[in-house]
Amino acid sequence: MTSSQSESTVHPLQELADTVAEAVGGSFEITFDTIKVRVSLDSWVQAHITARDRLDLVFFSWLSAIDWSNQVEAGDPLREEVEERFELLTTVADVTEGRRVTFSTDLPKDSPRAPSLVSVYAGANWHEREAHEMFGIDFDGHPNPVHLYLPESFIGNPLRKSFPLLSREVKPWPGTVDVEAMPNQEGAEEPSTENPEA
Amino acid sequence: MAIDTDTIRHLSEASVSVELQTEDMTLNIGPQHPSTHGVLRLVARVDGERCFDVQPVIGYMHRGYEKLSEVRTYPQITTIVNRIDWVSGYANEVPFIVAAEKLMEVEVPERAQYIRLILTEMARMCSHLIFMASYPLELGAATPLFFALRERERVLDLLESVTGGRFHPNFNRIGGVKPAYGSGSSTRKLVQDLPAGFFRQTREAMDRVREVCVELEDLVAGNEIILARTKGIGVLPPEVAAAFGVSGPNLRASGVRFDLRRAENYLPYDRFEFDVITGTAGDCWDRWWVRLQEIRESARIVQQAVDGIPSGPLQAKVPKVIKVPKGETYVRAENPKGEMGYYLVSDGGSGPYRLKIRSASFSNISILPWILEGTLVPDIIAIMGSLDFVLGDVDR
Repeated sequence: MTSSQSESTVHPLQELADTVAEAVGGSFEITFDTIKVRVSLDSWVQAHITARDRLDLVFFSWLSAIDWSNQVEAGDPLREEVEERFELLTTVADVTEGRRVTFSTDLPKDSPRAPSLVSVYAGANWHEREAHEMFGIDFDGHPNPVHLYLPESFIGNPLRKSFPLLSREVKPWPGTVDVEAMPNQEGAEEPSTENPEA
Repeated sequence: MAIDTDTIRHLSEASVSVELQTEDMTLNIGPQHPSTHGVLRLVARVDGERCFDVQPVIGYMHRGYEKLSEVRTYPQITTIVNRIDWVSGYANEVPFIVAAEKLMEVEVPERAQYIRLILTEMARMCSHLIFMASYPLELGAATPLFFALRERERVLDLLESVTGGRFHPNFNRIGGVKPAYGSGSSTRKLVQDLPAGFFRQTREAMDRVREVCVELEDLVAGNEIILARTKGIGVLPPEVAAAFGVSGPNLRASGVRFDLRRAENYLPYDRFEFDVITGTAGDCWDRWWVRLQEIRESARIVQQAVDGIPSGPLQAKVPKVIKVPKGETYVRAENPKGEMGYYLVSDGGSGPYRLKIRSASFSNISILPWILEGTLVPDIIAIMGSLDFVLGDVDR
């Protein structure tokens, strides 16, 4: 249920979404019980400080990104054209009532940069290192911007849509070549007992 | 031979005038170490017996599940998310399936929800019993292992009798749970239900689990060595824990009364009576104690669920080829290790456009550099063990 569809009935999360969006100065949407507040990159850090100090969202759940891309090397392409960008996401929550908010901001495709949140939430440290190596996003002010999972010599950013999945390149997925009909289905052959190599 | 007072004074002055030359040393712990539950390396800078800078090196088990999810269909993904936290494989499936169901707006039959809940709590018991087995072992007490693993095996047998798998059940389907026994072309009729005798065996097993909790408490809580090694060690203040995203029993041990089973509605936990267990000091001892009590609470929930399970179908009507409508959602669940969540982005296809996996152990061990600062080297193991992480859940 999105906020636009349910104008007659107030969504239970509406009040929280209003409060957060007003406090941090952003727009919001409620999609499937998830409040997503969009803020500008300039107010990225300030929005999190506000969330932590004024709204009591002290729990840092996660930070990650989405690579919105019309050209994909792995997986299915998008059905509709999108504006090419990285969407940086965080989710912060409280530890009393279960309120949670997802913050979102857009980064340009070439040289994505964002200010680091480590000074606001200490837990952002590893998440930003992960986003740095997986998406190639630079975090200004990060205390230790080295790779987290991958070796330092690794080239490329695996979670970018332009990064191919090599195992699929060298060998097709069995599901796509396995076109035999199921047993008892029309067109199913009796399994052969002969050795095809003989 | 008697030593006169002058000699003693001389010796004591001599000892204080000597300046000890100390040198920092880098100590490598792991990647293979019994307390790491996988492959984790710690690079500790130590000065004598104190360490002042500990950097965990992770990634030895990184399998790239987020990328792999982008090239798979929804039913295929449950197979890989099973393997994130392999000691409670079943519990990993639930939030993912619930996220997909949320986007599809599928109403899951009540019986299926109860089965999910029962199996999730069994997974929690298995995970906590592993902790009950391994944590005292890391501190040098081998006996609790046999008690804990014996009952865990009983619970695993039940899980296996329903799902067919001990560790990786792959039992959830979008819209419900897998049609169980008796399916096949010969009968033409799907017997969609739990195996015969499951409820009776479950009640018995829950009684045994509660008994073993008493035994474990007798064995461990009365052991002075364990108390000395855990009380007051590795104290984690709640505000630090929250800022690092530490969740689950580790957070509750610091006195935070917060449980996603109460705060979120991914399974019908609101129909059951159970207590959210909290500690007071936030030390290693409290983290052990909270988990022991949580086993008891899980047994309590399972008993209530078994008594009150409604009858009905196990599957909602869903299309044969699963396509999830366009949308984004974040669904999080209280897994044995803490908050496990999936941020699912679908564009209407048969597989996700992006699946962010938020795993509990990842955030739980990101606290290690903070919590190990200034501790003694032997306490590294005591503290690390008490956080109860699994490297599959860290590296994903």
